[in-house]
Amino acid sequence: MLKGTNIHKSFGDLEVLKGIDLEVAPSEVVVLVGVSGSGKSTLLRCFNFLERINKGTIEVDGQVVDPKKHKLSKIRAEVGMVFQHFNLFPHMTVLENVIEAPMIVKKMKKEDAVVLAKGLLEKVGLADKADVYPSKLSGGQKQRVAIARSLAMEPKVLLFDEPTSALDPELVGEVLSVMQQLAQEGMTMVVVTHEMKFAREVADRVIMLDEGRIIESADPVTFFENPSHERTKQFIQLVD
Amino acid sequence: MELLNTVFEVFMRTYPGFLEAALMTLKITAVALVLGTILGLVFALMKISRSKILQTIANVYITIIRGTPLIVQIMFLYFGITELITLSGFWAGAIALGIHNGAYIAEIFRGAIQGIDRGQREASSSLGMTRAQSMRRIIFPQALKRSIPPLGNQFIITLKDSSLVYIISVQELFALANREAAQSYQPLETFLVVGVYYLILVMIFTYLLKLYENKLNVDK
Ligand SMILES: Nc1ncnc2c1ncn2[C@@H]1O[C@H](COP(=O)(O)OP(=O)(O)O)[C@@H](O)[C@H]1O
Ligand SMILES: [Mg+2]
Repeated sequence: MLKGTNIHKSFGDLEVLKGIDLEVAPSEVVVLVGVSGSGKSTLLRCFNFLERINKGTIEVDGQVVDPKKHKLSKIRAEVGMVFQHFNLFPHMTVLENVIEAPMIVKKMKKEDAVVLAKGLLEKVGLADKADVYPSKLSGGQKQRVAIARSLAMEPKVLLFDEPTSALDPELVGEVLSVMQQLAQEGMTMVVVTHEMKFAREVADRVIMLDEGRIIESADPVTFFENPSHERTKQFIQLVD
Repeated sequence: MELLNTVFEVFMRTYPGFLEAALMTLKITAVALVLGTILGLVFALMKISRSKILQTIANVYITIIRGTPLIVQIMFLYFGITELITLSGFWAGAIALGIHNGAYIAEIFRGAIQGIDRGQREASSSLGMTRAQSMRRIIFPQALKRSIPPLGNQFIITLKDSSLVYIISVQELFALANREAAQSYQPLETFLVVGVYYLILVMIFTYLLKLYENKLNVDK
């Protein structure tokens, strides 16, 4: 579904990703962990083509993406992204946030987009907030709208970059449960998070990134009970 | 008290002419604002474009306009380019003011666009929008709203700067005041009166702007 091979990414002299190989199967949920600065966000942003990689290849749905040949906007529409700070469009209502991309990018008719959006808002439990502006929502509600907005493009993969890190603790659960529901429905997901409970219960695979390299990749039980790398053990102790 | 009486007398004697002149001031300001806003938008977009050529053109325009006095620009348009086309005083003045404003408005728009959180562009990109779509639907509407206070400020400056076109004999407020003052030997009263005309126009304008800003805030 999504495959990175030998991904290298540098910012100036700083090499942030040092040869990442990662293949995500359809309906797989991969949780990506690692200390701050290890390159998790950068990797997700490369998968979404918000950053250009310096070396390596990225395949989406079996096709190698060449930024010079392909229209990146087309490909980005297939790889959704949920951001730590939601990035909702503040000048639009919740409903308008969700129907915007289907209408503008996919040229969907407004009636159809509204039906789609209302269904998605229902799904994330915010049907009653359709006509509200984002500034009136709690952080948890904002993030659920952002998820609905991404889903409206019917992406093949959904990337989450610390979706609950900006939330008050009591609002984390409502977002995670939406994500868990998506996982159960077979959504392919790559999730950067510090919520180890989510990793244990929802992930098919947990991956540890350290200084731009994958040092551990295992099912959650193995990852947490029997990690092979010393740095992983330290990390688990730190966050648990 | 004496002064108040003579000011009032001057006001009563001159108001038919001044009202007409005020209309001229408004017309020239309106043309300048429309032209300035269009130019400002075009040059702001050029400045933030990825094309080096477009960026350079915009920079040259902004540097030249901001680096030379408005009065020189007015004279240049009226007398300087008569070999190419002849413009009436009104159009030379309005266009000069418009071009002048365009440079400042371009900077206002550019600042507002670049001030929008980059997460907005990233979110729209990640949804599959092109740069143009994202600009038109997501970035610019937010930037426009933020531009309104500085734009209002710039519009007021333009209204007052329009007085400089008296130099090419456009019969607006200041030109008329100048003539009245000389003919009547009452410069103190006349310039007081014309000052009040400008003040009232600016106050009306400020009020309308407030209304519009409040309306935008209610929408949100
Ligand atoms: N646009 C950028 N320019 C320069 N350095 C960057 C940029 N983005 C990230 N970095 C650097 O790359 C490293 C990895 O960052 P990031 O991917 O955000 O890590 P994580 O998400 O794991 O905390 C950090 O050292 C960060 O400072
Ligand atoms: Mg990060």
